[in-house]
Amino acid sequence: MQSFSFDPVVLPPGIGEFRAQIRAFLKAELVSTPAVKKANSWAVYDAGFSKKLAAQGWVGMVWPKRYGGYERSSIERYVLLEELLAAGAPVGAHWIADRQSGPALLKFGSEEQRQKYLPGMARGEVYCCIGMSEPNAGSDLASVRTRAERQPDGRWKINGQKIWTTQAQRCQLIIALVRSAPVDEKNRQAGLSQFLIELNTPGIRIRPIVDLIGETHFNEVFFEDCIVGAECLLGVEGAGWAQCTGELSLERSGPERYMSSLALFLELLRVAGPNPSEVLRQVIGRTAAEVWTLRQMSLSVAGQLAQGKDPTIEAAIVKDLGNSFEQSLPVLVQSITDSGVRLEDDSDFVQVLTYLLQTSPSFSMRGGTREILRGIIARGLGLR
Amino acid sequence: MSEQKQMLADAVIRLFRDAGDISSRAEREGFSSALWNQVEELGLPLVLVPEDRGGVGGDWEDVLAVLHPVGYYGIPLPIGEAMLASRLATDAGFDLPAGVSTVAAEIQGQLSRSADGYVFSGTLKRVPWGRDAQSVAAVLEFEGRPHLLLLLLPSAAASVHAAHNLSGEPRDDLYFEAAAVQAAPVASADAADVHERCALLRVAQITGALEAALHRSIDYAKERKQFGRAIGQFQAVQQQLALFGSDAAAVACAARAACQAAARGPASFQIAAAKLRANQAIGLATGTAHQVHAAIGFTHEYALRHATQRLWSWRSEFGNDRYWAERLGAAVAARGAENFWADLTERDDAAA
Ligand SMILES: Cc1cc2nc3c(=O)[nH]c(=O)nc-3n(C[C@H](O)[C@H](O)[C@H](O)COP(=O)(O)OP(=O)(O)OC[C@H]3O[C@@H](n4cnc5c(N)ncnc54)[C@H](O)[C@@H]3O)c2cc1C
Repeated sequence: MQSFSFDPVVLPPGIGEFRAQIRAFLKAELVSTPAVKKANSWAVYDAGFSKKLAAQGWVGMVWPKRYGGYERSSIERYVLLEELLAAGAPVGAHWIADRQSGPALLKFGSEEQRQKYLPGMARGEVYCCIGMSEPNAGSDLASVRTRAERQPDGRWKINGQKIWTTQAQRCQLIIALVRSAPVDEKNRQAGLSQFLIELNTPGIRIRPIVDLIGETHFNEVFFEDCIVGAECLLGVEGAGWAQCTGELSLERSGPERYMSSLALFLELLRVAGPNPSEVLRQVIGRTAAEVWTLRQMSLSVAGQLAQGKDPTIEAAIVKDLGNSFEQSLPVLVQSITDSGVRLEDDSDFVQVLTYLLQTSPSFSMRGGTREILRGIIARGLGLR
Repeated sequence: MSEQKQMLADAVIRLFRDAGDISSRAEREGFSSALWNQVEELGLPLVLVPEDRGGVGGDWEDVLAVLHPVGYYGIPLPIGEAMLASRLATDAGFDLPAGVSTVAAEIQGQLSRSADGYVFSGTLKRVPWGRDAQSVAAVLEFEGRPHLLLLLLPSAAASVHAAHNLSGEPRDDLYFEAAAVQAAPVASADAADVHERCALLRVAQITGALEAALHRSIDYAKERKQFGRAIGQFQAVQQQLALFGSDAAAVACAARAACQAAARGPASFQIAAAKLRANQAIGLATGTAHQVHAAIGFTHEYALRHATQRLWSWRSEFGNDRYWAERLGAAVAARGAENFWADLTERDDAAA
């Protein structure tokens, strides 16, 4: 009778000890991290932190040991991720490699690609970025124009441009979705391929884009007669679309899709104190209920992934509801703060608030826009 | 879902699906004893009663499995209330009362000892199906301890002020004047906060009514044509329904998590959060359902109102948004920023 499946997850015994271990590590590591760096912390790049985390065995922790992984369960990984995000750990350097590029290599990569890159990723040293979007291909991803042409010697020549590529300037690798065969108007998703390319390859130019708050974290990536070997093809030629949408499932399903503004709630609790006004109690109560609900949903999706199911629609639901929550919180908090609080103040609370007020609109763009997600959900309801 | 739960849910769905337009009939004719008898035959009031006390031996997840269809089909009977009342009675060591039983979360008055038992004078407010019940369970502080009261009806010592909620479900005030009652100390998780457990009953029903309104809206959007195509093909309509579907899913997930917690023991946080989340979904859900249906859904004859009128009522029953936000907000603020995340995770880790 139920339209969607959100079966509850029973966490494995002993998960409490693992959590305690993670918390002890993070407490020591994050003592001097400023509050504002704890907001949306999966966008904060810190290679030193990624290496330390990897030294604990906590990057690529579910991957096979022969590729540098630790063969831990995906529920344990979920717990690690939520603890990292709740503590505001700067996980931006390795996040994408751990979440989707590594798993894409495990699924579609050649043995050579796996051996070459996975161990470095699991050491927290090799980072990968996502080369999907282009200036004229955003939501309509199948319209990418960057092309790969096969050369007589079997190598490929790549020309075109990617954009909004997060951390490209600091990554060693990119997985790019490109057109490897002419467009078939009847099936635009055919003829696309994924390439795994080292970003220091000649013919690649990276130009950072300054974002709304003056930071440079995303980029333009230009491919200009960039020649790559046949071994750079990821998976099957022409199967890029299916591979890419599989990656998007991983990209959309994690706890980072509802936790990016949690730091603001914690700062709010700090300034509110144990006996706040009724207005604040109302907001705190509503927020707590929403966080709890979203966590239950997110855990359920993690549980379904762990069982080998494909909760694509459920993941879209959690991302959409989660993004809406992450976005509504800064606006709500701004609307109820005391008139004595000024946005010019440099308190932790105000810094986190102003940072999230300005960055949270992007939360429902990255990883697929709200409208695209709702289209997926509507399909799940049988409306499309 | 376990096999037992699935079988129970299937039997309940079969029974209610075949009951026809029971909501409209109840509005005209009142309590349906015939359907109640079938509900009793399935053992539904005894879901929470242990097997060795003659019950089904289920838990709050089974309650949800039964009450989801109750909400979905808008069944106008105190099934959840009877489950809780029967459970409370057994928790207090009483034999199960015969007939229709219900529960009162709001009780004011005094219990005192008499020569051969207990006497109660006071009021039970907004008792679901109070006029139709043969017994009402309520918990009252007496001699420093919570006591379960079992009040039998009809009684010369009782009078009924009849009232009903927006969908015609009885919500009666019962006045007792020196009524002889059964009473005994009770210390179970379900008795600790009857109001809270009643809220959980409503959450379970809300999941069903949301789903019913959603399904009706989707079916209607596929069938109703304007501008030469089904309105469900318009993106504006699709996006509204997607959001509705997401909210219904959120409530379903919250309800399951809260029922799981209630089955384990104290679940104040989870029940508060689930009722608050459910209440919030109702605003969006009822608005969207009616918007998609437009004028036809605004008629007395059209069945959509059986879901939406119930949802509007249940939103206020056993705590509206403000009530639960206050309880949660005060508790979370008192624990402080340092404990919020730890408390949140601890609740689920403890079950591991
Ligand atoms: C912070 C950030 C980081 C990012 N990082 C990366 C990255 O690392 N790699 C990468 O490849 N991309 C990245 N992106 C790009 C992101 O994936 C795109 O922004 C997103 O897919 C939307 O594309 P667009 O910006 O071109 O918007 P458009 O697709 O042009 O959309 C504009 C608006 O129109 C709406 N719209 C479009 N099509 C439809 C439709 N069919 N129906 C209804 N509405 C529609 C959209 O929902 C949106 O509201 C990032 C974006 C941000 C903001």
